[in-house]
Amino acid sequence: MAQEAMVSEREGPATAVEAAAGLRDLWWRRLLFAPTIGLLLLLAIVPLLFSLGVSLFNYSLGSRAIWTGLGNYINLFTDPQFWLAARVTVQFTIAAVSIEVVLGILLGFVLNQRFTGMGIIRLIVFLPMMLAPFCIGLFWRFMFDQTFGIVDYILTRVGLPTIPWLAHPFWSQVAVVVVDVWQWTPFVALLVLAGLGTIPTELLEAATLDRASTWLKFRQIYWPYLRFPLLLALLFRSIDTLKLFDSPFILTGGGPGNFTSTLSILGYRHQIMFFNVGMAAAISWVVVIIINIVTNILVRLITPARVEQVATGL
Amino acid sequence: MKTFKRVLGVVLALLVAAVFLFPLLWILLSSFKTKLELLAVPPVFIFRPTLQNYINAFNSDFPTQVRNSLIIAISTTVISITLGSLTAYGFSRYSIKGSDFLQFWILSLRMLPAIAVVVPFYLVFRTLKLLDTHIALIMVYCLFNISFAVWVLKGFFDEIPIELEEAAMLDGYSPPQVFLKVSLPLARAGLATTAIFCLIQSLNEFLLAVSLTTRVADTAPVGLSKVQTLMGVDWGLLSAGSIVFMLPVVIFTIIVRNELVRGMSFGRMR
Repeated sequence: MAQEAMVSEREGPATAVEAAAGLRDLWWRRLLFAPTIGLLLLLAIVPLLFSLGVSLFNYSLGSRAIWTGLGNYINLFTDPQFWLAARVTVQFTIAAVSIEVVLGILLGFVLNQRFTGMGIIRLIVFLPMMLAPFCIGLFWRFMFDQTFGIVDYILTRVGLPTIPWLAHPFWSQVAVVVVDVWQWTPFVALLVLAGLGTIPTELLEAATLDRASTWLKFRQIYWPYLRFPLLLALLFRSIDTLKLFDSPFILTGGGPGNFTSTLSILGYRHQIMFFNVGMAAAISWVVVIIINIVTNILVRLITPARVEQVATGL
Repeated sequence: MKTFKRVLGVVLALLVAAVFLFPLLWILLSSFKTKLELLAVPPVFIFRPTLQNYINAFNSDFPTQVRNSLIIAISTTVISITLGSLTAYGFSRYSIKGSDFLQFWILSLRMLPAIAVVVPFYLVFRTLKLLDTHIALIMVYCLFNISFAVWVLKGFFDEIPIELEEAAMLDGYSPPQVFLKVSLPLARAGLATTAIFCLIQSLNEFLLAVSLTTRVADTAPVGLSKVQTLMGVDWGLLSAGSIVFMLPVVIFTIIVRNELVRGMSFGRMR
């Protein structure tokens, strides 16, 4: 089922179940859909439109909201802090996701072997992604500490110089990527593993008999079954790193010098620390639009036939 | 050659396991250290374990925060599974106008960044005097968990043979009875799996929690994030708290280990 399209193409089933639930049971159909759709509209569309409205006002909590039109957006686009946050966010996404996909494929093949104890190894590998990103960030901050951290200790033991992980602009960015890669490479591997599980054994046996080269084997046999899982992993990981908040917030608080401050952290700061609601709303809309564009591109790759607009909740 | 490859594979797998296990073990170990041992240079591996950090955690606000986390996560899960199973069943068995569009829209909620709803929810809850309450977080979490539940549960309902339901109809069951007495019981493993994923997601969430709660309804991660700013960094308390907080998630993960693909891919793969 790994090859299943994003949305089943099956038209509504004219089953006996449905036929019997004729007009008489119209209330039953309404009960199935109306509460959910209604609640989701209330919780997603209304807040998003509200925040679009707020983004057009110069509004700080405790003072009057003044209409400013695109003023917040103009301020935002002329603010070097915003461009730094946008650059940092995109850099994190490109670096983390590409490493995760490459290592994820390799990890998937490593975990695809069969021997006793593999079940436990898989469980260990898949555990980190289930844990709170907050806690993971905390652990790594403890391990990255410059004086008592275990990472630098190991580096010195193997004869390498210590690294100021969380205090240096470049190395703190590396640290954020390392943590994301550590937590989420298993996610890519999980989907790869599921994809590998769908390859018919005859196909693999035939390739072994033919003594096909490794690259040819990958291209001809594995790739068709890995395409969908990998695109799905790419989609989910890209979206999640574009909205990255927890781990850099805990690791560095966005520092040093805002060099690990993602768009989500910038928005949080304007909202919760500066009470600059209009600006926070504008930033959040920029994130929504960026994610929309990326989602649309990737979803088109996954299901080329579908042309419907996939908006982030809109 | 063949044995060499096999041995290499096993060694690689063990190495990988070590990479993912080590940080978790290191924190577990650290949670039993005294303040001095925690900050020792070079790090100590052999020491006399103490439970002091756990005692400190239980004598702080931490138990209340864990309670908040549990109340919010369980309420969210109950609402999400109830509404999610109705709609998932609807999508699976009935044809409605714009079904594909609706399903796609619900899927797209997975992409919605939390920061985008922080601002409006903050303002609305502030007006309604709901900031820093359980209800506020439950409502926001429902947004993300209902859409998740609909997609994952639809996959489970799709797997139930429709013949079973048709047989029940012939026995005179009405459509709601078929759903309650045939389909739901058949999908109970799926319901449990989905519920566990909803619980984990709600427990782990941080950005919305830290934005919408302060000190009455703050969840465990929010509480722990405050430890490090107010009293310097008490790593003993932080590691002990994290371990306690993560324990249920570890157990949940072991329970749903065979359905991880489905849960993590929003039901798009299994």
